[in-house]
Amino acid sequence: MLTLSEVQNITGEKGNFQVEILKKPRYVREDRCIACGACTEKCPGKFEDGYNADLKTRTAIYVEYPQAVPLKYAINPAACLKLTKDKCGTCQEVCPADAIDYTMTEETVTIDAGSIILAPGFKPFDPSRFDNYQYSKFANVVTSMEFERMLSATGPTMGHVTTFPKVPANPKKKKDKLLAEKRKDPKKIAWFQCVGSRDVNKCDNPYCSSVCCMYAVKEAIIAKEHAGDGLDCSIFFMDMRTPGKEFEKYYQNAKDKHGINFIRSRVHSVVEDAETGDLHIQYADEMGQIIRETYDLIVLSVGLEISCETRAFAEKFNIDLTESGFAKTGSFEPVATSRDGIYVSGVFNNPKDIPESVLDASAAASAAGDALAEVRNTLTKEIPAVPETNVIGDRPSIGVFICDCGSNIAGVVDCPHVTEYAATLPYVTVAEETTYACSQDAQDKMVEIIKEKGLNRIVVAACTPKTHEPLFQETLKSAGLNKYLFEMTNIRNHNSWVHKNNPDIATEKAKDLVRMAVAKAGLAQPLKEEKIQVNASVMVVGGGLAGLTAARSLASQGYETHIIEKKDTLGGEALKLWKTAQGEDVQEHLSALIKEVQANDKIVVHTNTTLEGVDGFVGNFTSTLNTDGKTTELEHGLAVLATGAKALETTEYSLGQDERIIRTLDLDRLFRENDPKLDQVQSAVFIQCVGSREPERPYCSRVCCTHSVENATALKDKNPDMDVFILYRDIRTYGERELLYKKAREKGVIFIRYEVTDKPKVTVEKDFVAVTVKDHVLNQPVTIEADLVTLATALVPRKDERLANFFKVPLNDEGFFVEKHAKLGPAEFATDGVFVAGSGHYPKPVNEAITQGRAAASRALTLLAKKDSLFTSGTIASVDVQKCSACGVCVSICPYNAPSFMTEGRFEGKADINPVLCKGCGLCVASCRSGAIHLRGFDTNQIFSQIFALGETG
Amino acid sequence: MESKKTGSVVVIGGGISGMLSALDLANSGFYVYLVEKGPSIGGVMAQLDKTFPTNDCAM
Amino acid sequence: MTEKNIKIVSFLCNWCSYGAADLAGVSRMEYPADIRVIRIPCSGRMSPKFILSAFREGADAVWVSG
Repeated sequence: MLTLSEVQNITGEKGNFQVEILKKPRYVREDRCIACGACTEKCPGKFEDGYNADLKTRTAIYVEYPQAVPLKYAINPAACLKLTKDKCGTCQEVCPADAIDYTMTEETVTIDAGSIILAPGFKPFDPSRFDNYQYSKFANVVTSMEFERMLSATGPTMGHVTTFPKVPANPKKKKDKLLAEKRKDPKKIAWFQCVGSRDVNKCDNPYCSSVCCMYAVKEAIIAKEHAGDGLDCSIFFMDMRTPGKEFEKYYQNAKDKHGINFIRSRVHSVVEDAETGDLHIQYADEMGQIIRETYDLIVLSVGLEISCETRAFAEKFNIDLTESGFAKTGSFEPVATSRDGIYVSGVFNNPKDIPESVLDASAAASAAGDALAEVRNTLTKEIPAVPETNVIGDRPSIGVFICDCGSNIAGVVDCPHVTEYAATLPYVTVAEETTYACSQDAQDKMVEIIKEKGLNRIVVAACTPKTHEPLFQETLKSAGLNKYLFEMTNIRNHNSWVHKNNPDIATEKAKDLVRMAVAKAGLAQPLKEEKIQVNASVMVVGGGLAGLTAARSLASQGYETHIIEKKDTLGGEALKLWKTAQGEDVQEHLSALIKEVQANDKIVVHTNTTLEGVDGFVGNFTSTLNTDGKTTELEHGLAVLATGAKALETTEYSLGQDERIIRTLDLDRLFRENDPKLDQVQSAVFIQCVGSREPERPYCSRVCCTHSVENATALKDKNPDMDVFILYRDIRTYGERELLYKKAREKGVIFIRYEVTDKPKVTVEKDFVAVTVKDHVLNQPVTIEADLVTLATALVPRKDERLANFFKVPLNDEGFFVEKHAKLGPAEFATDGVFVAGSGHYPKPVNEAITQGRAAASRALTLLAKKDSLFTSGTIASVDVQKCSACGVCVSICPYNAPSFMTEGRFEGKADINPVLCKGCGLCVASCRSGAIHLRGFDTNQIFSQIFALGETG
Repeated sequence: MESKKTGSVVVIGGGISGMLSALDLANSGFYVYLVEKGPSIGGVMAQLDKTFPTNDCAM
Repeated sequence: MTEKNIKIVSFLCNWCSYGAADLAGVSRMEYPADIRVIRIPCSGRMSPKFILSAFREGADAVWVSG
């Protein structure tokens, strides 16, 4: 990891790049800094705190935020008095670790690399240049990024929303003091959408930033949660764009449950009340009425922008950009830049939210890896394992380490006292206090002490085991101890942080917690992790774009892949598409992809095949396939579910009654076949949201707006005199798709908005199809005499409950697969070894389906590449067969199907638990009436020991 | 024959997307250099309070 | 100061309530210091014996959360 580093030069080509990197000085030695914070207390230099959106200042020597990685201080040379004027030098004097080094200089390193991934991100749009909102002049006009920091518990206002959010730069200054005194809790907050997006008048950003609608809704909900129902939140918008998974419901809930006002209007300007700082606005509502209102706080929902540095960087290294500065990529290789071997990920590859950035990340990794498959594992280093000391039968010798966590714990809890107390507990050999137990030097010291004193159980009293247990377990391993001979107790999150006003009681509580942990640790046993055998082949269910892409990537990295397709051809729904949003011919690219897949000898294609059953678990699945009535078995290690979605079948708007009323995919077919019928059309109408965003299907199908806008433009291109109408609810051309919307309007496509409560009416007449809709500008019903009506029908998932059951993966209410984590695990399931891609997860256009296909492959590859070093957890249940009465309660109660009856051998009929399937929940242990099941790491005697230890008063 | 390829990857940018790219690659057998211009990784996501639509903590 | 001796033993599921207690700390909420947390892998791990024994050891209340 190279921080404070910038790429200076890239030479070479795919497979062999040389990257020259300029490493700027940190002025703090990373190997020595223990992040105690002593330096920052005395530092006189100040500069604006970018992490807190400049709402605060910070000292010249700083860490960005308390959870920063690496947690090492750095000096900003521009703000440091020593480095600018050679005065001061305080930090060097106070640093207990002798980490400060003012003599550090820049250095340049050159790295050899086979592939390069660009993920430079974005910068939030700076609204200072807008004179109408007066962001830089009015204290109560803030950006959404500033508001985000205000909502944060660790932010400048500790989560308290106030007006005048800036912390006074200098509290002694009269003006700043006055401001601070005037600070109050806002009663009315307004959000202005599309600041720096969808705007070519005041700035040059014609694209939609894709994330602002959702984050504004989120900020409004959280603000109301903080401030209570009395807070009035209004969002001023042009189109509400919530086309992501579960987004539409979030938006509807914001309206219905949280009482947030949504006002469709663009506010022209803001006037500040000089006395109170309140903000007066006026706007035209949907009826054209001018309304005046006053708000305490206005949040500008700023867009995402590519920085000048990133643009200059791209230009220097021959990466083609779009007009708006995003990297130019094709729909069929959505993470490949114009330069071979250089890939792109995140917002630089079009504005996007976190899950899409995560998908991009994995997709870029798979693309970068595909290019280098043959040199995998040539440069990685194995950490040599330290042989484990056998401690079974030894008397416990416990080492207790009490962490100060800087002042986080020691500021409240009397740590020296707790340490002294810990030393008096039974079996404790050593008790030590450390400033930061998680720092590298503290870890090294821990290893040293373990070896020196021959410790065989370790207790760390610090923060939460949920984040830090693995770190300390690694430390135990490097000291030659089994990693389960460890117990962690939480004296920070559960103690010092929540009882900061009661230091005495908190100290007592810390002593209790340490005593309980010591009692439990004394009973800890070394546990074995079972090796998981991974069958290095993958089954991909679904031969559409996503499935094909995943299979191609897996095969090109050398793994056998089976595609299961129930139809007789590959390609899926993409076979019905005409063009992508970028205008590429879908069939041309799709057939090339199919050919590539068919020619690859690592890929076996099973067409006309359905899945009849699945047995097993990660690494060892056995699936039953049915090909034209013939049953075969397939053994595979992993699975990718890419079953896709299809267009809704409906009779709404007289679909099926007249051949002039068709669906989007039918129109695509007419275009594909260049049907002469299209030349006859004089008046065409598109109706959006047919079956989407309705109570029955409360989600947005994501692809339809762009698709209809594109097809409408194509009709106009065919015949500029044709009347083309799009009847819509919100136009959701997110990202650079917005440019298509703009183009369509320029070409004369007419957009008429309708309300879901007042849908258009379609009647079939002899010479035309009459479409009646209430025009939102005229507020009058108008009737269009159309000879082509195209319905943008919803995309509906296959809702294959059988398949979901086979792999024990969940479906949501609408029938889409539920991924492991909405943000961080969008291409995998909670079930290990099973991955998801394509529209079966959520409706998505070509480029996103391919990205997710690649991402699923990348996630699968991380398991395949480690197939020789995959282990189960040690904290799992096991059966004492001597005690087992073979009652079967554990077999029926386990949610993971881990226990089963042994079918042979001496203990036939008794229960046995599969360590690979066991998740260690302990349900069977608590249910076993014979006391025959033990949960390693949380065994009954260990929990009792904690309870008993609590009983002894310290 | 082409010259031998290098089994390492440079990832430029230590935000959420750069970090995860780096992790996937490292876990599938490639040596990764993660290059970040600031003093620590995390990017913009680390600045966010909560995330939509689940209101999970962004940290 | 009679509250000083109240003891609540809480069994928290590692995946939800324990994390929630962590979050309470991260959010710097404050609550009375009478609680002693025992981390369990899942509330399914709970056995009535644990609850009874906690009371026997002098707990004033037992809280199982998962």
